[in-house]
Amino acid sequence: MFENLALGFAAFGDPYVWLGLLVGALAGYLIGAIPGLGPSLGVALLIPFTYGMDPVVAIVMLVALYAAAEYGGAITAVLINTPGTAAAVATAWDGYPLTRQGKAGIALNLSIIGSGIGILVSSMLLVVTAIPLSELALNFGPGEYFALAVVGLSLVSGLSEGSVLKGAIAMGLGLALATVGLDTQTGIPRFAYNPEFFEGFPLVPVLLGLYALSEVLFMLEDGPTQKIKSQPITGILAVPFSVYWKLRGHLVRSSLLGYVIGVIPGAGASIASFMSYIIAKKTSKEPEKFGKGSYEGLVASETANNAAVSGAMAPLLALGIPGSATTAVLIGALMIQGIQPGPLLFTRNPEIPYSIFASLFIGVPVMIVIGLAGARLWAQVANIPRPAIAAIVATICLIGAYASSNSIFPVFIMTAFGIIGYVLRKAKIPLAPIILALVLGDMMETNFRRAMVISRGSYDIFYTHPLTLVLLVVAVLAFVVPLVNDLRARRRA
Amino acid sequence: MTFTISRRSLGLALAATVALTGIPAMAQDTWQPEGPVRILMHTKPGGTADIFIRTLAATLEPAIGQPLVVENLPGAGGANQMNQIRRAEPDGLTLGINTVSHFTGMLTNLKGVFAPDNFSWIAAAQIDPILLFSSTESDIDTIEDLVALAKERGDGVVNIGGFGPVGSMQHIGISMFEKSAGIKLNWVAFEATPDILTALLGGHVDVGVSNLGPTLPFFESDRLEALAILGPDRLESLPDTPTVNEAGYPVNTDWVQVRGLFGPADMDPALQTQIADAFQLAMQAESYQDYAAKSGVETPDMGPEDYSAFVQQLMTVAEENLREQNLLN
Repeated sequence: MFENLALGFAAFGDPYVWLGLLVGALAGYLIGAIPGLGPSLGVALLIPFTYGMDPVVAIVMLVALYAAAEYGGAITAVLINTPGTAAAVATAWDGYPLTRQGKAGIALNLSIIGSGIGILVSSMLLVVTAIPLSELALNFGPGEYFALAVVGLSLVSGLSEGSVLKGAIAMGLGLALATVGLDTQTGIPRFAYNPEFFEGFPLVPVLLGLYALSEVLFMLEDGPTQKIKSQPITGILAVPFSVYWKLRGHLVRSSLLGYVIGVIPGAGASIASFMSYIIAKKTSKEPEKFGKGSYEGLVASETANNAAVSGAMAPLLALGIPGSATTAVLIGALMIQGIQPGPLLFTRNPEIPYSIFASLFIGVPVMIVIGLAGARLWAQVANIPRPAIAAIVATICLIGAYASSNSIFPVFIMTAFGIIGYVLRKAKIPLAPIILALVLGDMMETNFRRAMVISRGSYDIFYTHPLTLVLLVVAVLAFVVPLVNDLRARRRA
Repeated sequence: MTFTISRRSLGLALAATVALTGIPAMAQDTWQPEGPVRILMHTKPGGTADIFIRTLAATLEPAIGQPLVVENLPGAGGANQMNQIRRAEPDGLTLGINTVSHFTGMLTNLKGVFAPDNFSWIAAAQIDPILLFSSTESDIDTIEDLVALAKERGDGVVNIGGFGPVGSMQHIGISMFEKSAGIKLNWVAFEATPDILTALLGGHVDVGVSNLGPTLPFFESDRLEALAILGPDRLESLPDTPTVNEAGYPVNTDWVQVRGLFGPADMDPALQTQIADAFQLAMQAESYQDYAAKSGVETPDMGPEDYSAFVQQLMTVAEENLREQNLLN
């Protein structure tokens, strides 16, 4: 293995490989920062440029783009409360409050370092565990995916600020929205009176509306009075090392969690960042700061969503099975290069997996330098007068929604959810459970139905499989334990 | 590669002729689009159809002297793509790639929204038969094993993982086989082919169905084994795997996955023929043929007339089968 890893690093003797890495990292950084684009569309956009390239250069460029774009999503999430992908939503929860406190530069520095550590730790795990862990992930069948989604939803209680009832309303709303579209087993349209609704509510426009456009409406309401002066970032090492050292537990745990969830095909970066955020909150000594500008919450989300990138690479390299939407596009890019990903990839084309490993390691410092240098410039965005910011964000929302599928329908969805988001926030109903339920609801229902088809209507499938049973027990505990603690506390009081 | 070079020089020669004489030489025979050609896809980037057109673009672009702009318009069960194509100018600058799902869609979800007459069916570019396979770790090693097991366990007990819900292209194909073999399998719908493969490798379903491309690496690494092909002929990459007809379960072998080229209605028949010829010529290039062999797809020679007739036939077969399963209302 080490000879092969050396082979991977040797590929970087070629200046074109370095060029590919730089171009990929820069392009990914910018594409990720444009809401509505994001990593999978970014990789697809760059594929035509790889036609004439050497396969190693092409794949290094695309992987660098993937990793950098997954980070780039944090920039708009932090600065203007505009997560361009579901994986950046949890980053906005603490990132944007930090910007409102004038700490945009610090938030950006923390997020890039978190991302870098996430990739670095997970890449080391990838080199060692890609093959065995991918084989293990095959044990995840429909029953297990259903149970995993239930675990995710059971953690929602950790996201509801204050009122349990309002959290439940938000989750119910998200689950209801997730039922719209063609039934995946029978193909019958549900609540889809127009073919536009066949694939359900598109996630990116919903995100842009709920978070970004509703924020614009609040800015309009507040008027131009508020003005926050952003603390200037003095250098790329503006955040002292001691801050990171205090966060070391979260950095390591989020990296591990992000990697493992990334390996499971179909889970991916968004679920990784949600779970990491919630677990960070549960284990934190200062959980009350979460959602109000917690450094811990910010790095938990951002570290995990980047660690999931390496995770998603594992089944791709070991088995030729994509672990995420972006790795599915990467398979296409490899096939155009005449390389067939599959169980024989390590034997037939070892240069591909090992140059990917090498590019992840070498890419991290490159990404961090670009990110830290960029943070100084981006932080200035926070100083733009709020009326101008409102106009810019509204424009970004419209363009981002349109670009997500080249049509006007998502623009309507985005606008509608902007108004819904505004009303919900006025009513103090949290938005996070809606997004979580929308992402997990589809996964939960599809896999529940699939499991029930396989078991021919018998519920046995949910308790005769040990892995499913364990996950479901975890979910039940996550519901019951806070309830019991709550009751005890009340009795004492 | 010699082929592409000669095409390119031919293109240059043509351009030179036009420039010098002002008369479009050979205009009757050769497609010379006046601007970039938009190819609209109904899928997200990275799917089989998407890889097909992006691979072909590499040889077609120099031949026609214009860029091919691939636009992904996923969503609405293909309606986003079909809408844009239906209202495009019939000048050959807006084309789309279709699969069998376009036809099953027009019979079910999109019935009354689109009909085959709304479009020109220009050429079939790929024929991609589907096949049945199992895990090498399972007891099912041949198609006979599968039929025997299904009979032994009873109707609807043996699970089969396939792409799309009941009434999808693959489900119809499997239903035809079930009827012929006198068995009934339990259809488990998946939304992506890799999910079918993982479910099969993990032992969550008994057999799977898919086109060859995504499964080939798993056959080569002995993780999966092919049982039978639901198509007219054996496949080059799997010489030992019989067709279902050879195995004694005769079905209508015209029911195959097809990737075709279509455009708005009322396209000039001469223009359609030119476009079909240009695609056919580009598909003969060595680089494209390499890719086609690897993906296990055939390159049929079907121009506008043949393809339109083929489309009619697919519609008839689909309608019959959907009616039999009470999926038409």
